[in-house]
Amino acid sequence: MSTISAQVVIEDPIGFHARPAGQIVKLVKESGLEIRIGKPNEKMVKANSPLSLMALKGKSGETLVVEIDTEDQSVADGIVSQIQEFLRG
Amino acid sequence: MSSNHQVLSGLGVGLEAVAAEVFRVAPAKPLPIPANHTGDKEAETHKVRSAVDAVSSQLQELGAKSEETTREIFEALEMILQDESLFEQAIEQIDQGFEAGTAFVNAVETFAELLAGDETFEERIADIRDLGRRVAAHVHGISLGLDLPTTGSYVLVGEDFSPADTAQFTDAVVGVVTIAGGPTSHTAIICRSRSIPAVVSCQGAKDIVSGQSVLVDPVGDRVVVGADLSSATRALSFVSKSQEPLVSVRANIGSLEDAVTAATSAAKGVGLFRTELLYLSSKQKPTLQQQIDSYTEILAACPEGPIVVRTIDAGSDKPVPFLNMAHEENPALGVRGFRLIKEHREFITEQLKAIESARAKTGRDVWVMAPMIASYQEAVEFSELARSLGEYKIGIMIETPGIISAIKHLGGKLDFVSVGTNDLSQYLFAADRMHSQLGALMNHWQPGLISALADIANLSAMAGIHSGVCGESASDPAFSIVLAGLGFNSVSASPSQVGQVRSALMSVDKDQAILVSKAALGGLSAEQSKSLALEKLASFEG
Repeated sequence: MSTISAQVVIEDPIGFHARPAGQIVKLVKESGLEIRIGKPNEKMVKANSPLSLMALKGKSGETLVVEIDTEDQSVADGIVSQIQEFLRG
Repeated sequence: MSSNHQVLSGLGVGLEAVAAEVFRVAPAKPLPIPANHTGDKEAETHKVRSAVDAVSSQLQELGAKSEETTREIFEALEMILQDESLFEQAIEQIDQGFEAGTAFVNAVETFAELLAGDETFEERIADIRDLGRRVAAHVHGISLGLDLPTTGSYVLVGEDFSPADTAQFTDAVVGVVTIAGGPTSHTAIICRSRSIPAVVSCQGAKDIVSGQSVLVDPVGDRVVVGADLSSATRALSFVSKSQEPLVSVRANIGSLEDAVTAATSAAKGVGLFRTELLYLSSKQKPTLQQQIDSYTEILAACPEGPIVVRTIDAGSDKPVPFLNMAHEENPALGVRGFRLIKEHREFITEQLKAIESARAKTGRDVWVMAPMIASYQEAVEFSELARSLGEYKIGIMIETPGIISAIKHLGGKLDFVSVGTNDLSQYLFAADRMHSQLGALMNHWQPGLISALADIANLSAMAGIHSGVCGESASDPAFSIVLAGLGFNSVSASPSQVGQVRSALMSVDKDQAILVSKAALGGLSAEQSKSLALEKLASFEG
């Protein structure tokens, strides 16, 4: 299976905190796909783990990479735009 | 009140007081000390799985019984408990030889350490550790229930209460006192939503024992041992005497949404428009035109009256992505606010130009001010720069103690000053405003702050400069009366507090406000300043 990757920006002034982490985990579980998130050029973490996402300690203004194991570009686009929405705070 | 009543100060939650017998919650029973398993990894893994599932369903049950705010907390906790990475980490610990309970506690600790040191997660870490304890307790068959009385009336006294604890509160819990925790702890949130009188962060409560009787007095920010309801501090009720507040009440905003909200309040203009949000979230510098568009939109939406716009207040702890700010050891004492002018003059100049264009387009009464001004020269530098770029009124924030004595020389150079009391307290008392153990010094009733405020108001009046206060303190209705009495010309509160602050400032006349401010100035501690001011206010009634 191929992987589609995209970038999102943390726009929430308080950074990547518990609430967006929970929202993303819920979305990932509902999608049934393997999705990973991380900072550019750093270790990626599974996006179904709220603790791992919180441990990224993402700050407002930082860019994150999202990798989605799917071949369906439109499904991936939908997920990425929802994740971006959660990170808007 | 007789002198043998011991008074313990803390932070009050709610407006009603209650007096009842104490039910002292003992410190949690210790879990068995960390231990190894006997070699059956599969059995240990199974124990972790079933303990996690059992605690999970406890959380679901507790959530189902709770109202919305609490239910969301339990859903979030359950999601964390069921985190696969946490389970995998626990299995790794079992592989290393630890028995199920120890393995899970260690796994939780691994994540707690990863999250430590980040203020966003401070209060979450305590919740996550509590989950670890619960799973371990289940593995070992230990009850972590509080075993609270179900009949009678009790004031619950304990270290702090987790969401799982507060969900066990029975109807017999009529008051709550915690030794630790702050105004944003779960205990405070739950007590506020269930209207249970509480005092949190009350260190003196550690010596209280079951059977004593206490008065929980949230309005007085205190617990009084042995006192009854007659000693309770009365909640203030403000009866309007005039149509308009003693000084004008403005609103603090940071975004277009805030401006819209503020416009629905009774605020007369905006006393602090924080401009950071426009910049903190963009990777590239917004163009001049983009800035003009944003400012035009926001200025047009603001409530009628003057609009005080603060130029960018960024620093290495609040970095603007496109300004390349270096890491600093002490960001609060580093290059921030107007100090950015050295490296980024063009950026600040462009911001002032954008604000001027938006002012001209909307025809609004715009005032601009710079944050973090520490010397006369800096104030003059900003004044001259802004004067050359626009027709707004020009002022500075008063946040550093060093600038106070310069106010007397700034008449004619500045139109106004605005005090940021949060930062002024931080720099007056050398106390990090985010530090959980130094919260008492950030209390705006501290005599040192009130006396600095008196100087600022006097010096501004003598220099013919309009003075205002836009910090957290101006959102406290009683304190806004002190500010008006000290001689400030305006206050600016968060939009949700504007109504209350206005009512307070409509309930007194100038002479009464002066008496209240003099009373506050007579205190030797924050508690005393506050109670002297409130006593004076109460004396005007009836």
